[in-house]
Amino acid sequence: MPPRSPFSSPSRELHVVVLGAGGVGKSCLTAQFVHNEWIESYDPTIEDSYRTQVQVDGRQVILEILDTAGTEQFVAMRDLYMKTGQGFLLVFSITSPSSLSELENLREEIIRIKDEENVPMVIVGNKADLEDGRVIARAKGFAVSQKWGAPYYEASARTRTNVDEVFIDLCRQMLRKEDETAEPDEASKIDALKSANNKRRRRSKFRDSTHPRCVIL
Amino acid sequence: MLSDNRIRASLQVAPLDLTKPRPEEAGDGSSSNNQTPKGESSLETSHLRSQMTPPVTPNGSQEDLSSVPAPHMPPVFHNFLRAFYPFHPSLAMADSSVTLPLDEGDVVLVHSIHTNGWADGTLLTSGARGWLPTNYCEAYEPEEMRSLLKALLNFWDLLRITTIDEDHMFQSQEFMKGLIGGVRYLLERTRCLTRESMLIKRCDPLRRCRKSLLSELSSLVKTAKQLQDLQTVAFEFPDEVNDVVDQMILKAFKVVTKGVRFLDVLDDDKRAHSSSHIINTMPPVIEEPCVPPTPPADRGAFVEQTQAVPDDRVSAAATAGDEASLASEETNAVIAHPVQPNRWSKRLSSLNAPAGTHSNRHSQASMTHVNRLSANMAHRLSLAGPSPLSRPHHLVSERLSKSHDKFLSHLGSFIGRLHLQSQSRNELAIAIKQSAISGGELMAIVDAVSTQSSSMIKALISSRDALLDRIQDLVCAARDTLANAETEGADIIMPQDNTIMLNSATSCVRAAGECVALTKGVIERSGDFELESVGNALPLDLIVLDVTATRSRTPSVAERSEAASVVTSASSPARRPSVVALDKPLPRVPGSQPDEESTPPATTPKTSRPSSVVREAVSSPASSATSVGRTLPPLPKLTTTSIPPETTDNSSAREQDLHSSFDSMAGSSAGSSTTYLSRDSEVSIVSQSSTRATTPDQTLVPRNQPSLSELSAAGSSTHTEEVDDVESKLLMKTFAHELVFNKEGQVTGGSLAALVERLTTHEATPDATFVSTFYLTFRLFATPIQLTEALIDRYEYAEESPQTSGPIRLRVYNAFKGWLESHWRDQTDRDALKLIIPFAETRLNATLPSAGSRLLELTTRVSNEGALVPRLVSSMGKTNTAIGQYVPADLPLPSSIISKGQQSALQSFKAGGASPTILDFDPLELARQLTVKQMNIFCSILPEELLASQWMKKGGADAPNVKAMSALSTDLSNMVAETILQHSELKKRAAVIKQWIKIALSFLELHNYDGLMAIICSLNSSTITRLRKTWDAISQKRKEALRNLQEIVEPAQNNKVLRTKVHDHVPPCLPFLGMYLTDLTFVDIGNPSTKRVSLGSESEVDGAGGLTVVNFDKHTKTAKIIGELQRFQIPYRLTELPDMQDWLSAQFQQIRETSQGNVQVAYYRKSLLLEPRESMTKRETAESPATATASAAGRPDIFGWITRDRVGQNSTPQA
Repeated sequence: MPPRSPFSSPSRELHVVVLGAGGVGKSCLTAQFVHNEWIESYDPTIEDSYRTQVQVDGRQVILEILDTAGTEQFVAMRDLYMKTGQGFLLVFSITSPSSLSELENLREEIIRIKDEENVPMVIVGNKADLEDGRVIARAKGFAVSQKWGAPYYEASARTRTNVDEVFIDLCRQMLRKEDETAEPDEASKIDALKSANNKRRRRSKFRDSTHPRCVIL
Repeated sequence: MLSDNRIRASLQVAPLDLTKPRPEEAGDGSSSNNQTPKGESSLETSHLRSQMTPPVTPNGSQEDLSSVPAPHMPPVFHNFLRAFYPFHPSLAMADSSVTLPLDEGDVVLVHSIHTNGWADGTLLTSGARGWLPTNYCEAYEPEEMRSLLKALLNFWDLLRITTIDEDHMFQSQEFMKGLIGGVRYLLERTRCLTRESMLIKRCDPLRRCRKSLLSELSSLVKTAKQLQDLQTVAFEFPDEVNDVVDQMILKAFKVVTKGVRFLDVLDDDKRAHSSSHIINTMPPVIEEPCVPPTPPADRGAFVEQTQAVPDDRVSAAATAGDEASLASEETNAVIAHPVQPNRWSKRLSSLNAPAGTHSNRHSQASMTHVNRLSANMAHRLSLAGPSPLSRPHHLVSERLSKSHDKFLSHLGSFIGRLHLQSQSRNELAIAIKQSAISGGELMAIVDAVSTQSSSMIKALISSRDALLDRIQDLVCAARDTLANAETEGADIIMPQDNTIMLNSATSCVRAAGECVALTKGVIERSGDFELESVGNALPLDLIVLDVTATRSRTPSVAERSEAASVVTSASSPARRPSVVALDKPLPRVPGSQPDEESTPPATTPKTSRPSSVVREAVSSPASSATSVGRTLPPLPKLTTTSIPPETTDNSSAREQDLHSSFDSMAGSSAGSSTTYLSRDSEVSIVSQSSTRATTPDQTLVPRNQPSLSELSAAGSSTHTEEVDDVESKLLMKTFAHELVFNKEGQVTGGSLAALVERLTTHEATPDATFVSTFYLTFRLFATPIQLTEALIDRYEYAEESPQTSGPIRLRVYNAFKGWLESHWRDQTDRDALKLIIPFAETRLNATLPSAGSRLLELTTRVSNEGALVPRLVSSMGKTNTAIGQYVPADLPLPSSIISKGQQSALQSFKAGGASPTILDFDPLELARQLTVKQMNIFCSILPEELLASQWMKKGGADAPNVKAMSALSTDLSNMVAETILQHSELKKRAAVIKQWIKIALSFLELHNYDGLMAIICSLNSSTITRLRKTWDAISQKRKEALRNLQEIVEPAQNNKVLRTKVHDHVPPCLPFLGMYLTDLTFVDIGNPSTKRVSLGSESEVDGAGGLTVVNFDKHTKTAKIIGELQRFQIPYRLTELPDMQDWLSAQFQQIRETSQGNVQVAYYRKSLLLEPRESMTKRETAESPATATASAAGRPDIFGWITRDRVGQNSTPQA
C-alpha cells in the first residue's frame, strides 16, 4: 500500500516507524508510550496495540507506531516498513557504540527509500538511566544530531524519561511537514529554487519553534 | 465522560426537608406523611420520602462518645468496613428498602462508596445488601485477617462471575483454597493453628470460637463438594447449582464473620491478659465491648419474612434480604391500585420544575473521615441506576420500556431453556406463551403510540409488523415442535429441535429492539403521554401452546402490574438504593460533637441539591426509557445513578458498558426464571447474590431457600468429625494465598511454591494450559534446581496431611516424570539431576518404590541421551487428531509439475553444467519447493528458542532455527532482487518480475505467508519499484494482482490483514514468523516479570504485607503465542523434488556469497545503473506520489541522498 497521502487523512493519522538495532530497548520506548500504566497486562496482538491518540500543540493526532521489534534479522523487510512511515524514531543505546553506527545505515536507507532529505526524524539515545555504562558521549549524540539535522534526545524507557517527548517532537515535525507540503502545489516539479525556499522556510520554523531540539535529561 | 449535563439537570430529586426536629422525624412513616412539608419538599409524597429521607439518626444513646477517635481513613477504597456504632433506621418500613441496619461490630463487604458517604455494601452476617453510612464504620483490615478477607473478595468475584455450565474450575476445588488458606493464615498469625496451642488451651471462649470457625469452614467445604457433584448434572438443574453457589457465598461470609469474632475474642483475651493498667488509657469505645462486638452470626430474623412473597411474583431481584421483599411488596401494593400510581406520577412530574440551587453538597459530609472516604471513589461494583420505584408507571415510554424488558426477559428465559439439554414440553410451552403474551403487550403499546402520533408512522408500522411476523414464526415453530413431540409421545423436547426456535427467538429479540427503538423515536418527537391500560395486540391463538390446563388469556390489569413489578425488581436491584445515595446526607454519628458539623444535613436541606454525576454507562433498558423522556420537560426524571465522579478510572466504566450492553438481554431477565442466561450480568448477579439466598425464587424453585438461620443451624450442627477433617485440611501447609487469579479463574501470578502447589494439586487434574505454560516457561522464573527443591518440598509437606499426601506425592512424581520425559532441556536442566537422583533413590523410593525406580530410570536415560522425546512441541493448541483432520493421509500428494527438460536441466546443473533460471520452471512448483524448504525449518523451531527474546541475544546462537528461518526469508527476498537485476534487458526483467508475482500468488494459494511476505517485500522495495520502464512492460492485470498481494502483507494496524488471515486458519499454513517474534518481544517487554500481591485489601499499594510473585500472566501470554505458532508446525503434504531443492539451495548459497556487506545498497546501485535516475519527470510509481521531491536534477550523487552540511541549521545544544 502506498504511504498515506497527507491530504487524504482528515483524522490526521500519522505513521511512525521505530528503528534501531536489536537490544537498544527501542521496543521498550514503544511499549512505554502506548502502554497505559493502569492496564495490568499488555497484549500486543490486538489490532490497536500500537495506536494511540496524542495531542500536539492542540491538534489531535492518531499515531500508529510500527515497531518491528524482534524482526531485525529480516533485513529485506525493512524497506517495506520504512515505506509506510512518515516519521522515524532512530533509537540507539548510549551503552552500545555499534548501535549508533547502525543508525547511520538506517538513516541512509530511509532517505533512499523516501527519496528525499526532509524526512521527519528524531534521534534517541536510549538507556540514559545507565549512566555508568555510557560509552557514547552526549557530545557525540549532538554531533550526529547536527550532521543529520534531526533533534537528539536522551531517553530512558525504564524511568520513562523523555518517552513522550520524543514521540511528540516527531509528531510536530510530521505535522509541520504536512502543512508545508500542503502549501505549494504538489504537482510542480521541485527545482532547486523551490527546495531552497522550502529550506529557508523550514529553517525559520525551526528557529521559531519553542521546543528544544536537543534535550538532555 | 459519560455523564452529560442534561442528565444531571434531570436529577430532580426533591430536596430533603429536614428542618423539623429530629424526634418527629424519628417517628414512623405514616406520621411523617401527615406533616406539612415546607418549600419544595411539599412535593414529596410519602413514598418518595421513604426514598429520600436519610436514615434517621439514632438519638437514643446519649452517652458521651465524643472521645471516639475519628478513624483515620487513608484515601483509599476499603473493601471491608466495620460498624463501630449501631445504625438502625427507625423508619423501618419506609426506609428499610434502601438502608442496611448495622449493629456494632458488623463487617460489611463494600461494593461502592458514593460521594455523599453512603456505601453500597453487603452485610456479612446476613448477606443482605444495601446502603449504609460510612461514618458509622471504619475500615476493617487487621493484619491477621488480610488473607482471609482477600480470599473472600476473590471468592465473591469468582462465584459472581463464573458461569456454572462452562467453567471447569468448580470441578477442582481450587477456588476453595483461598478461603482455607485465609483461615489458615489467620490461625497461623495468631498462633492458634493447632488445638494444642497455648492460647487455645488457656482461653475457653477462644477455643469455642476457633471451633465454630472451623466448623463453618467445614460446612462451606461440604457445600463446595456438593457443588462439584451437582456440576455433572448442571445442565438439568441450573437452579440447584445456583442455590448451592448462593449458599456458598453466604457460608463464606459466615466463615469470615467467625474469623472476625475469633480475632475479637483473641484481642479481648490478650487485653485482659496483657495488663490491666493499660485499660485506663484506652478510648472508651474500644474498652466498652467486653462482649465481643460481633453480633451473633445467626441473626436469622433478617431473612424470615421472605417466604411471604407470592408465588407468581418473580421479584427475586431485591436488594437487601427481607427489607427488599418488604419493599417490593410495597411497590406491589402501590401498583395494585390504579389510582395511586397515577397521582404519584403527577406529583412526581411536578417535582421536575425546580432546578438550580446547586450548592456544594459535599458540605454535608463535614466529618473529616467521611470526606476522605468520599474523596476517593474507587469502587468494585457499580450497579446503580435509576430507581424504578420512584418513576411513574403509566407514561407510555415507561410502559414501552417495561414491556420491552418483559418481552426480552421472557425470550431470554426461553432462549436459556433452549440451551438446556432437554426439557419438558410443558415448560417450553409456557415459556413460549409468556414470550408471546409479553410480545403482544409490547405491540399493543406500539400501536397506542402509533395512533397518537403521526410522525414516522410508516416505519413504525412496518417494524411492528416485522415484530409480529417474528413472534408468529416463533409460535409456529414452537407449535410444530410441540406437536411433533406429542405425536411421538415424548414429553421431552430434544435439543435438535431447538435450532429453529432459537433462530426465531433471536430474530424476535432483534425485531423487538428495532421496533422499540423506533417507537421511542416517535415518542420523543410527539411527546410522552399517559397510557392507562394496554391490551394484548397479538392476533394469535396461543391455545395451541396450552399443553397443560393453563389457559391463555389476556393478562388482567393486576397481572400486568405484577409484570411491571417484575421488571421493576428485575431491572435494578441495586438501583433502588441509589436513590438514597443521590442526596441523602449521612446520619450523624450519635454523640459526635455538633459543632464538628459545620453544616449539619439536618439543618441545611436546601443546599443539598443533587450534583452527583450520572453515568449513562450503567443505564439498562429500563433507564434508556428515561433518557428518551429526558427531552420532555414535564416528565419526571429520576435518573439517579450513584456512580463515582469522573476520577474513576475508565476500566470500570468500560466494564459497566459491557454489562449494560448485556443488560438488554439478560439484565431484564434477572429476576425472572432464567438464571442460566443472566449469570454473567452484573445486575442479575447482584440479584442473585444478594437476594437469591434470602428471597426464594418461587417461580422456578418451588421450595424454600435455606434461610440464614437454617444455614447457621446446619453449620453449628456439623459433626465433629467434619470439623476435624477441615482442621486437618487447614493444618495442611499451603501457599494458596500466594496465588493470584484473574476473573476467569486463571492463575496470573504466584510464588514458585504456590505455582508448584498448583501444578501438583491433588483435587483434580491440573489445568492443561497451566501445566504446559509452566513447563515451557519455568526456567524464566526459577532455576531447574529451584524447581526441584520446590517439588521436593511439596513432597515433604504433603506429609502433614495424611489423607491427601498420597495423591499429592503421586502428582509430584508425575511432575518430575513429565519434566524429564517431555520437557527436559539437557543444557540447562542437567544440574537438577544431582537433586533429583538422591530424591528418587531415598525419599521417593521409600514411599513409592516403583515410582522411585521409574524416576531413576528416567534420570539415567536423560543424562545419557539428553532429551528423551524429540520434543517437537508442547501439547498446547495442537493435537494429533488435528493433523489427520486437516490433511487426510490418504489424500494423494499433488503431482509435481516438472517436465523432462526441466529435470534434465537440473541434472546437468548438478553435474556442473549451466544453471537454469527461475524462468525455466513452473511457478507453482517453485512455490511448492520453496514452501517445503521453509516449512522444514519452521517445523524445527523449538519453543525455547522463542522465550525471552532468545533469538535476539548472542546473535541468535540459542535460536538456530529462528535464525535460519529469517535468513531463508532474507535470502528469498534477495533472490527476487538478484534475479530481476541481473538482466540488463528490460523485457527479461519484466519477465522475471512476472514470474515472481506468479510465485507469490502460488504462495498465497499454499497459505505460505512467510514466503509471500519475502517476495512482496522485495518486489515492493524501492530498488525494484523505481524500475519504472520495466514495470511499464508488465500488464495492468498483473500489477493489480500484486497490489492485492501487497495489501495482505501491509503492516498497518498491527498486521491486521495478515492476522485475520492466519487466525483460525487450518494447517497446513506457514504464517509469517516475524509477526510472532514481534508479539513475543512486546509481551516480554511490556509485562513485568513479577507482580506484587498484597495479602490485605487491594488498596494496599506497597505495604509490608505485600509479596512479590511471578507474573504468570506474562508467561501464559508467551505460551499462548508460542502455542499459536506451534499450531502451524505441521508439514505440507507436498512432494519434495531433491534436485530442485539442491538447485534452490545452491542459488541461495550463491546469493549469500555474492552479497556480502550492505546488499541493499548494492542492489540499489545496480538498479540505478539499469535505469538511471530520471530528471524529475513526474513519477508514477504508485508508492511515493508525494515524496519525489528532494533530489534535484544534475546532482552528482548517484544514490540520491546527499549529506548536506547542516551546521548552523541546528539550534544550539543545551548542556
